[in-house]
Amino acid sequence: MSVMCREVVENIIGYIESELDGETLRDLEAHLHECPECLEFVNTYKKMLEMAGKLRERSFVSPEVREKLKKVLQSKLKSSSHLET
Amino acid sequence: MQFFKKIKDVLSTLGERESSLTDEELVEQFVKTGDHEAYYEIWQRHGGYVYNLAYRITSDHHSAEEVSQEVMMQLIQKLDTFKGQSKFSSWLYRVTANASYSFLRQRKKYEKEVGLESYAPYDDNGTLMGKIMPKAWSDRPDSFLFGKESMEIIERAIGELPDSYRVVFVLRDVEGFTNVEVAETLEISVPAVKTRLHRARLALRDKISDYFMEWDKEKK
Ligand SMILES: [Zn+2]
Repeated sequence: MSVMCREVVENIIGYIESELDGETLRDLEAHLHECPECLEFVNTYKKMLEMAGKLRERSFVSPEVREKLKKVLQSKLKSSSHLET
Repeated sequence: MQFFKKIKDVLSTLGERESSLTDEELVEQFVKTGDHEAYYEIWQRHGGYVYNLAYRITSDHHSAEEVSQEVMMQLIQKLDTFKGQSKFSSWLYRVTANASYSFLRQRKKYEKEVGLESYAPYDDNGTLMGKIMPKAWSDRPDSFLFGKESMEIIERAIGELPDSYRVVFVLRDVEGFTNVEVAETLEISVPAVKTRLHRARLALRDKISDYFMEWDKEKK
């Protein structure tokens, strides 16, 4: 085995962003063919990134928080001498 | 007492008024005339996002609230420094990310923080043998991976990352900032961003695998 699992792990960003040089890429893919551990590592790594991207759609603002921040905003604007016109 | 009358007017219309002005036009209006309504509307449009981003970075509702208030204040004071060279929302999100990061640093949690500099899933021989497959989860259906439970699992796992790694992961992989944008926002180097991102992702992948396994056990 010319490439170790370590190389797959340490080159993972270059691999998924298609930035590896030809030789490194060939070696790495050859290793992925014969190492189920690394294949699963790469697959779960990609899935994790997909999941992370989906988190952006989740909101954590409860109605209570919204109400509270609105009140704070009111008092901040009131006390802001900067704004007195 | 024109000022108080103005405030009263604003409060009475709060939540009802919605103009067709762009963010940038509202900012200009606020900066030029101190129009409170313009400020309210800016906050109404983006306050939720500010809170959400602060929450993701700090992983704590109390902290998110404090950061949101801080951003609110900074905006009143600094809105005139927005030069319009980027979209207002991108500028605001960077201000928020920066405020969240400063907040974490002020808490001095960094000093106690366990670093992930040498975190790696392979053993001393450079092999993963036997460590990944028993916890395999890549073939689970999307309906599971993008479902409520899985989203909560990944959120919890992100929350457990050390602060300085979590902030990089969130900005880059959740918010979609580029490496350069993350570096500028946090005032660290691009290589530092890359290193932290790499270790954060490795640690997170492991954590998620562990959580999925635990979750399976509980279901049985
Ligand atoms: Zn391998």
